[in-house]
Amino acid sequence: MTDLAGFWRHTPRLTLLAMAVLLIAGGLMAVASETAYREEKVGDVEVQTRILATTTTAALSFNDRPTAGEYLTALSASPEFEAAGVYDAGGTLFAAYTAPGMTPVPAMAEPPGHHFDDDTLTVSVPVMQDGHRIGSVSLRTELEPFARRAERYVGMALLLAMTLLIVLVLGAAQAALARANHDLAERARDLSAANRALNAEIAEREKVEAALRQSQKMEAMGQLTGGIAHDFNNLLQALAGCLQLVGRRAKEPSIQPLLETGQQAIDRGAKLVQQLMAFARRQTLRPEPMDVRDRLLGMADLLTRAIRADITLETQVEPGLWAVEVDPTQFELAILNLAVNARDAMPDGGRLRVTARNRPADGANGDLVQVTVSDTGTGMEAEVKARVFEPFFTTKEVGKGSGLGLAQVYGFTRQSSGRVEIDSAPGQGTAVSLFLPRTVKTVAAHAKERSLDTARGAGRRLLLVEDDPIVGSMVAAALDEMGYAVLRAGNAEEALGLLNDRALRIDILFSDVVMPGAMNGIDLAHTARRLRPGLPVVLTTGYSEDIARIDGVRVLPKPYRVGELAELLEAALTADGAGIKVR
Amino acid sequence: MEERTVRWCSPLALSLLLVLAGAPVSIASAEPLEAAVKATFLYKFIAFVAWPPGAFATADSPFRLCVEGPDPFGDVLDRAVAGQSAGGRPIELMRRPQFEKGSGCHLLYGTMPMDRLRGEPVLTVSDADAPGGSAAGAVITFVLQEDRVRFVIDAATAQGNRLAISSKLMSLSVRP
Repeated sequence: MTDLAGFWRHTPRLTLLAMAVLLIAGGLMAVASETAYREEKVGDVEVQTRILATTTTAALSFNDRPTAGEYLTALSASPEFEAAGVYDAGGTLFAAYTAPGMTPVPAMAEPPGHHFDDDTLTVSVPVMQDGHRIGSVSLRTELEPFARRAERYVGMALLLAMTLLIVLVLGAAQAALARANHDLAERARDLSAANRALNAEIAEREKVEAALRQSQKMEAMGQLTGGIAHDFNNLLQALAGCLQLVGRRAKEPSIQPLLETGQQAIDRGAKLVQQLMAFARRQTLRPEPMDVRDRLLGMADLLTRAIRADITLETQVEPGLWAVEVDPTQFELAILNLAVNARDAMPDGGRLRVTARNRPADGANGDLVQVTVSDTGTGMEAEVKARVFEPFFTTKEVGKGSGLGLAQVYGFTRQSSGRVEIDSAPGQGTAVSLFLPRTVKTVAAHAKERSLDTARGAGRRLLLVEDDPIVGSMVAAALDEMGYAVLRAGNAEEALGLLNDRALRIDILFSDVVMPGAMNGIDLAHTARRLRPGLPVVLTTGYSEDIARIDGVRVLPKPYRVGELAELLEAALTADGAGIKVR
Repeated sequence: MEERTVRWCSPLALSLLLVLAGAPVSIASAEPLEAAVKATFLYKFIAFVAWPPGAFATADSPFRLCVEGPDPFGDVLDRAVAGQSAGGRPIELMRRPQFEKGSGCHLLYGTMPMDRLRGEPVLTVSDADAPGGSAAGAVITFVLQEDRVRFVIDAATAQGNRLAISSKLMSLSVRP
């Protein structure tokens, strides 16, 4: 194919060559034909001249001019004879014939032979008698005009031209075919390239769709989990309150262990709910600027206790590590969860490595801090890898794991505007990396451990807003125990009515966030601060994530212990109440 | 005849005749000139006539040219045949007052009637001006036409004498 294409690529040159050869051949043929024609003509005319010479022998011998003239005149029968002459032995013209309008023969004899002049041929032969030359005869004939001879050659030229034309057309057709073939091949290549690109795009899209599906699944599970957890949280809250009230009122000592057991169950339930919330990204975070280095080093003891003795712990932190703004407790929990998973992945011991380093911005992402927990364990299959972040998904034996560890890690990083990446293969170990956004805020000194002493309301008037009657009753009872004078409202509107009553003294507002009606706890807090500037506000929720950023409002995450509530209320009263007094 | 005589005296015609005949004779008189032409013609006839095989004794027998009676040519004829041959045969001139049958002549010029030689392979040549004239019964008879020496060929007589006369020569025969 390529040979042929190469051959036809030379077609124009070959055609030129062929044309040249044909032209030369044609020219040679024409020359040969012309020569042959002349020779033949010479032969013909010579024969005729000889006949004439023979016939005029007697006339010449016997000096008979009229007879010689008659012989010559007989030539007029053929138009090709232009002129003829009979000369005597002395070379003098004896008799002559001249066709009309033609030039006569010369007066003196020409030497024997023939010669061409323009379009005429003159042949002279001697007249012999008994071996003696008794004179000569010259005959001049017109040759076929060159134009007419050329006409004959035109036929040949036409043949040549047709041959050339055919060669040219064939060559052009072949060249066009070769070109078309080439185009076709190119188009096929383009097509296959486009197909490859399309396949790649399809694969990419499938990947993206799978990621999207995964993300949507996680989102749906998160919403479901979050909803259930919220409801359970309220129930646990009520249960915890009831148990505490029972404990305060029941003086029977034998009931205390039962209460403790119940409280422990509630704590465990609360913890579980907390983890579900974490996955659902609905836990209440208390983000603060945090030094990852300090945090990790501070966790060393905890981690060492969490892993076994046959596992070595390495901690590697890049100098000058940036600060991040996350909830420190949740961060520690995430690292701990990862460490526990790593430990379980290394039943025969190994190395647990915790590393942290800066990841400068690269286009799509801003500056990030990467914290990686890696192990030298069994690793995991791709199918497992795809599902590890789902809540309650676990590879551990029943009762060994909750399936919520990595869900917490996932929820925490996502809620902290970061992301999680997992790198694992069977036998290659596992590395989980948290990417947390850098913060420019300065890291505060460690908050002092709060005093757990319970304070008393000391006759303060507290407005409690709680839509759930069970929870409301429980909390009201607890607050009452603390010495607060409790005003109750079932929703935000009701609370606003009380707040609008200027005559009514309200020292502090304690409200649930999620409530039925047009306003939620946050809106209520804003309005209350506007109506009564300096009013201390404490919100409680197990649900909202934006609440942490409201200025001047304290938040108590659900479920809470009464002690925590008392502490927070007292702190709020002390700070804000002082502000009021100053004003 | 009168007309012919007048023309005969025309010097131009004479000179032309002389030139064409190739005879280098002076323009002395009409008679010698005419005789010279005729002498030449006699010799030239030989080439256009074929004699029967028995006309010659041997392959190299001479060709016998006979002049009968008064010789009008004189030595002109001798000069004309001098050194010439007739088809490779030497030419032998014979002059006699009269030749009979069997005299061996191949060509006989005479002015007497030629009937006696009928059947003989002899090319008999006579002259229209002679007393016998055209009635002499010769194969070839000289005539004067338009001031020129021409001849008349009697094909029947030639055939009778078993002579084959070339068509070339026949074509030069004028009408008597």
